[in-house]
Amino acid sequence: MKKSKIKHALLCLLACVVALIWVFPIVYMIVSSFKAEADVVVPGFVFSPTLENYKIVLSDTFFKYLGNSVLITLGTVLVTVLLAVPAGYALVFAPLKNPNNVYFWFVSTTFLPAIAVIIPVYLIFQKLGLVDNPLALVILYSGAGIPLMVWLVTNFFKEVPAEIVEAASLDGCNRVQAFFRIMLPLVRNGIISAALLVFIITWNEFFYAVTITYTEAATLPVYMSKYMTQQGYFWGKMCATGTLICIIPIFLGFFTQKALVKGLTSGSVKG
Amino acid sequence: MSKDKANVKKDNSTRVLMPAVIFVAAVTQIPFAVTIIFSLLKWNVKRPDLGISFNGLQNFIDVLTSKNFYIVLKNTLIIIVACLILCTVLAILLGVLFNRKYPGGYFFRTLLVMPYFVMDSVVGIVWKTLLLNPSMGLNYYICQFFGIKSIDFFGKHSLLTVIILIIWQWTPFFFLIIMAGLQNIPDDVTESAKIDGANGFKRLILIDIPIIKKHIITAMTLGLINILKVFGLVYVTTQGGPGVSSANLPYLTYRTIFYDWSVGKAAAIAVITVAITLFITQKFFNATNKDE
Repeated sequence: MKKSKIKHALLCLLACVVALIWVFPIVYMIVSSFKAEADVVVPGFVFSPTLENYKIVLSDTFFKYLGNSVLITLGTVLVTVLLAVPAGYALVFAPLKNPNNVYFWFVSTTFLPAIAVIIPVYLIFQKLGLVDNPLALVILYSGAGIPLMVWLVTNFFKEVPAEIVEAASLDGCNRVQAFFRIMLPLVRNGIISAALLVFIITWNEFFYAVTITYTEAATLPVYMSKYMTQQGYFWGKMCATGTLICIIPIFLGFFTQKALVKGLTSGSVKG
Repeated sequence: MSKDKANVKKDNSTRVLMPAVIFVAAVTQIPFAVTIIFSLLKWNVKRPDLGISFNGLQNFIDVLTSKNFYIVLKNTLIIIVACLILCTVLAILLGVLFNRKYPGGYFFRTLLVMPYFVMDSVVGIVWKTLLLNPSMGLNYYICQFFGIKSIDFFGKHSLLTVIILIIWQWTPFFFLIIMAGLQNIPDDVTESAKIDGANGFKRLILIDIPIIKKHIITAMTLGLINILKVFGLVYVTTQGGPGVSSANLPYLTYRTIFYDWSVGKAAAIAVITVAITLFITQKFFNATNKDE
């Protein structure tokens, strides 16, 4: 008994160590962001911390890209939720002929790589003057976000017990009332988590951002990519920038991981 | 899927479904159909004087006879096979390691998952500079400590470097799903296995893995789809180079359209990429759903 307790303690310790090693690159970036440029190249955790990098990085340019990211991401989440939640609701509760086909059609569109659509999209947006316009990214991101959201939300709606649905219809609720009064409160947490996931993916998206924007509508990942040829002169500022733009997804990741797993697995694992 | 068709009166329910369907079709399916048409054209955006003409299957012949295409195809397959296997094995091992209760357990598990939530361009650049840079990164200091020359991650081992970065970023995703499976294993199953003397690896192989098989397949399927699409990590680290030694199919398509501006050829590569994606996914589905 005692032996197994020691083993348990050692394995717990090992788990902590593995987690710290795995996340080390991110921790190292955050630590380096507080180093003066002269110290940043030399590894080590002993140094006099400075906010100098942040003072320089938080420039008008950064705020412009930040503004674009916020605007585009919130716009995408809004469009995605408004279109995908009713669609998921209809897929589960409406008398459709082949709801499964439509559901799998949504799921299958997430397989399509972005490069399969970018060529005509780029040329059409160029004609419409939408290249380097935030609206272009909101449209593209919503096109990617809606299928994912439908996928997750449909699985959440499916878990609503049939008795509750029956009770609602016996009480004389019509479908719209049932949706807002009964369904929405039940699946609210699921919808919020799915929306957070869409937020994270949109915030991080790189391919569309780098192809369809230049300077006016470019988002933070594109801003970060300007550091990719760095040879060591501005690593402190690079790390400060990286830290600033990762705070939001890291923070949201804490809250959304459980729902992500639930939404992605409940359809396929139980089925 | 519809839970109580009888109770619901027929009404305009397609009206709430159609906006989403139309929107997604307009942004994904229709452009893809246009891409297929483009793949049959001879068209260079930067040379309007040459005009646009029908090119038959010539673009496909050009792509399928170029040496670079096969290097990139091979890279893509190596990446997908190596990453799927290693991510799955690592995630199962990590799952077993983390599937125990201790103070701060949830916190450390969340730390492990972080790389999945951080954007490609940031982690790619941090790995490229702070960690792997041969003259100033940790690479230099660690190799110096052991008295060897810095490892040339971006010259000689560029494909391996891309694979390492993908595994680092995607194992947490596999872990999340596999961990959920492990946590669902009822305690009495574990207990009775212990009584029967099945412990450690024996229990993992004979009892745990068969129980969480569906979770493993889900993780692998979603991983397959997403790893085939990897672009940002390649873009900010190796740029597909040297040459095309670390390029995958998405990156090759990107380069063909936005460096060469050759619409027809890029569209042909995109169509081939989608065909290969569908083929691999289909094969994978068939292989994993065989015994059900």
